[in-house]
Amino acid sequence: MSILATLLDPATLQLGLDVLRAAEYDSYDTDDDGGILLLLALGPAGAGLVYWSLYRYYRNTDKSHDFERETTIEAQPVTGGERKVGDRNGTTSSSIDNANGRAHRKRVNRFS
Amino acid sequence: MSTDPTVSGEPGHDPVLAADDPVTDTVVNPGAAEPDPVIDTRNTALHDGVNRCPKCGSTEIQLRVSTQMLICLFCRHEWAEESIDPTISGDGTLDDLSGTTIASGASDITSDEGMASFKCGGCGAEVVVNTSESMSSRCHWCRHVLTVNEQMPNGAVPDAVLPFKVTRDQAVKHISDFAGSRRLFADRTFRKEFTPGNVVGVYLPYMVVDSRATGTVAGKGEIETRRYTRKHGETETTYYDADVYQVERNVTFTVDDLTIESATSRTSDVRVNTNNVINTILPFDTKNAVRWNANYLVGYTSERRDQDVSTMVPVLEDQLLSITRSQVEKSIKKFDRGVRWENEKIDVHGTRWVSMYLPVWLYSYYHEHKGRPMVHYIAVNGRTGETMGSVPVSHGRLLMAALTTGTVLEGIALAIIGATL
Repeated sequence: MSILATLLDPATLQLGLDVLRAAEYDSYDTDDDGGILLLLALGPAGAGLVYWSLYRYYRNTDKSHDFERETTIEAQPVTGGERKVGDRNGTTSSSIDNANGRAHRKRVNRFS
Repeated sequence: MSTDPTVSGEPGHDPVLAADDPVTDTVVNPGAAEPDPVIDTRNTALHDGVNRCPKCGSTEIQLRVSTQMLICLFCRHEWAEESIDPTISGDGTLDDLSGTTIASGASDITSDEGMASFKCGGCGAEVVVNTSESMSSRCHWCRHVLTVNEQMPNGAVPDAVLPFKVTRDQAVKHISDFAGSRRLFADRTFRKEFTPGNVVGVYLPYMVVDSRATGTVAGKGEIETRRYTRKHGETETTYYDADVYQVERNVTFTVDDLTIESATSRTSDVRVNTNNVINTILPFDTKNAVRWNANYLVGYTSERRDQDVSTMVPVLEDQLLSITRSQVEKSIKKFDRGVRWENEKIDVHGTRWVSMYLPVWLYSYYHEHKGRPMVHYIAVNGRTGETMGSVPVSHGRLLMAALTTGTVLEGIALAIIGATL
């Protein structure tokens, strides 16, 4: 994997996009002291991103065998169900709290 | 297997075997009601000691990587051991897998004694082989090469071996290319001392596991129903309304040849070692593994398995849970605000464990940073050539690159602020 691929890695891109979004948002609102501070944070955030990306490219501490995709798995159709249990109104969060639908290796409570 | 119906099954009596009945080996699994069935993978054509070329009788035998066959260095005859897969898989499919089936080379380790002593078939001398370091030795009297082929209780002889396919020269090139693309910010001493020619071919011990399981996950999911913005003075805030669901998913699946490290020294912890890079070069084409013959290891090093099936079950279950989560991911796309799994379980219906030596080209570099020693590996899959590694970094150079980038970005930020004030 080239360094370009590392920089284009989804996790790296997400971090970069967050920084750019903050900068873009605050550029429209520079009267706000908080906005100016966030814009000023662009330098340190960019420096951190470069350090982290290069370190990861050299040391590869985040890499492991992707057995979920690289092993031959034959699955029967997924079953199950869902039922509405409530509403969540007026939240400023754009996603469910502690979402882990894609974090396949993050273990949760085991039940028997 | 025929048994005497008048005796078999009676309390206090063991089933009786007729003298000419084929024997199915069993090992007793402590805590389990039934003994685990065992697949006998012993290579009965071989024995400990002198194993000769089938054509000329020489014992000068080794692997020819370009063909993945054994070659007699005296008469150049080439041959290969049989594939292990038909013995392991049998006639059934993975959908029929039930209980725990362990191949004989993956049986529990009952001794950590590494020294094996046997009589040379050429001259009768007593020859000792340290199976922790090598699976063959040359008789110091008659110069025959003696090999260890009988399965031992110390885990040194696996069920099967996957021969090297990538040559040493190819491995050196892979490693040179890998490190070459990481020169700029590499530690200065590493750059000076990097010698890819020091690569070592090593057979590492793995457990190759087939499994049939049902995974269940349960949690909460949210679907967005409304999105709106409200003004608070000069700023606008976005708000979301959502329906909350209790979600459950089940999936039954089979996994073919899941490959798990079976030596504790290969345990991955990125804080203290770089073993994760060796894990990253998986998978191997384990279907091409052949019956054990120690001559495949001549000229290479190997590492002994030191883990039993029982100690590896938690690792297997953890991976099966991850596979469950991966398999159900497509079924939760309707929850556009995401899903939070809160509970999970795995019911393992059947497993089949096979011990295998898999080929890895390994370059290692010892490096100390602030008094903390670490061995950095660059590993090449001995079958596919997939390469992964860890290169020690020069933190000073990294810092300089980061500060330069940060300064440029800060300059842009200050320019924007200056223009808008």
